[in-house]
Amino acid sequence: MNTVIALWVRGLKAFVRNKTGLVFSLIFPLFFVYVFGAIFKNDVIDNPIAYMLSGVIITTVFESSLNLASTTVDDMVSGFMKEVLVSPAKRVAVAMGQLLSAATVATLQGILILIIGLFIGIRFRHWSTPIYVLVSMIAIGLVFSGVGLFMATKVRNGQTFQIVKTAVTMPLTFLSGAYIPLSMLPETLRYLAYINPMTYATAFFRMITLEKTNLSTADLVKEEVAISINGFIVTPVMSFIIILIIGLMFLLLSTISFVHTDFSRLNRSASDASAIWG
Amino acid sequence: MNPIIEVKNFTKKYGNFTAVNDISFNVEEGSIFAFLGPNGAGKSTTINTLCTIFEKTSGTLLIDGKDVTKQKSDVRSTIGVVFQDSTLDTKMTIEENLKMHCVFYNIHKKEVEERIQFVLKLVDLLEERKKLVGALSGGMKRRVEIARGLIHYPKVLFLDEPTTGLDPQTRAHIWEYIIKLQKERNITIFLTTHYMEEAEICGKIAIMDGGVIVAHDTPYALKKKYTKDKAYITTKNEEELEKLLLQFELDYTKKDGYYKVEAENLEGLLKVLSEHKENITNLEIKKGTFNDVFLEITGKKIREEA
Repeated sequence: MNTVIALWVRGLKAFVRNKTGLVFSLIFPLFFVYVFGAIFKNDVIDNPIAYMLSGVIITTVFESSLNLASTTVDDMVSGFMKEVLVSPAKRVAVAMGQLLSAATVATLQGILILIIGLFIGIRFRHWSTPIYVLVSMIAIGLVFSGVGLFMATKVRNGQTFQIVKTAVTMPLTFLSGAYIPLSMLPETLRYLAYINPMTYATAFFRMITLEKTNLSTADLVKEEVAISINGFIVTPVMSFIIILIIGLMFLLLSTISFVHTDFSRLNRSASDASAIWG
Repeated sequence: MNPIIEVKNFTKKYGNFTAVNDISFNVEEGSIFAFLGPNGAGKSTTINTLCTIFEKTSGTLLIDGKDVTKQKSDVRSTIGVVFQDSTLDTKMTIEENLKMHCVFYNIHKKEVEERIQFVLKLVDLLEERKKLVGALSGGMKRRVEIARGLIHYPKVLFLDEPTTGLDPQTRAHIWEYIIKLQKERNITIFLTTHYMEEAEICGKIAIMDGGVIVAHDTPYALKKKYTKDKAYITTKNEEELEKLLLQFELDYTKKDGYYKVEAENLEGLLKVLSEHKENITNLEIKKGTFNDVFLEITGKKIREEA
């Protein structure tokens, strides 16, 4: 238990100390809000800034939590994981600590953008909305931390990893409806979006943030918070269940994989980065 | 003296390749034990297995009576490890690194501060405790690692090339710490090094080559067995010296105007010197070094790898 807390605190400290990273993690999302919000100004969506903000917040949570893959890989390269390995600390506790800290940092980043969002377009009418928003951010943060940790345990080459990470993150973000409404996507890409877990996270989170809970199914589809796959409607609640199932799966997979990963296979001679884990 | 590390018939195979082939040795409690050998000799495999990272193929490896493959958690609490490459968390301060380590090793919160003070004083880093590890020099990082390796009061400290890449002054300091530790706390130190003069400080030395231990003894005994003292003589009368050397059956080689004479037969050498003393312009007697021992035993391999 102490291990979990210590690693959680470590993750938070690293987040707070990385001021440059923090600033840039805020600039990008707000830039996207500005650009895409302007593009969709004359479209069907009634409040494009709020619509974009909700998408951008959840994308930030998603990307930040997925970043656990990078930080874990960094920990392997820096050797910190080796220190963990020869200590009597339980590996399950280490995995949990890493997951919790990543999910917390992701949620904090989401909250920062949300706070800015409250000044430029998001309005909450119900007192309970912020609580729902917070809970969904934590849940979605945990889900994708699991995915991130799972990726990290499968890494064998530190350099290709960065490319793979971008190649995974970019399409997942752009084909989730967070920036571009699914209805505007070409048909092939739309099918890709249907198998993208982020699509469901976005839809669910957008419904919560924009307080669309009372709409009819048809309106939900029109507002892009319910997803219609060839007439089959995935409601926000179903979206949430889908996310939970995927999340539990990856949390379990990543923990098991982390416990069994043989970090000693990683040959970390600093002079030959390409040979690390070859 | 009790053996704290016991290795019996340890073998490690990677597929068809045998990295370590049926080695056995003991390390006495409270001693400094050096493990030498060219790259690829099986040193790292042995150390990593002792540190519970690798699995053995066969044999028994015990540390403080505990099996390193079956009682991993117990063994891990008993040992401290300083790897060749840094394993510090560079984004955190020295103090935070030590505290994290204490959490991993389940050290009671009340004791943590006292222990941090103790180990940092030992490596002279008490003033720097709030500094970020990433901002420290290589020598300081190594000292932090040694301090961290000690904070849970291990019985055995493994040091994998603790002084590689450090300047001579820092190396001397690190050795001071190591010897201080061994004397004051009776910690057993198991280390590898490439610096032969460092190996001589150790109580016992094992030299590995090709997966087996080719020599295992005190530095003095190894030197006596594998090196010969040599006399370097320059003379005014080369003809006469050569005649004398032949007469007393001393092996010699002539190079750059001096004679290099094997001093194994000390009596003969002294006779040559006394009979030839008027002509000798310079005389130097060199003791065999540990480098010679190492080259004598593993010479060919080292040259190939270098």
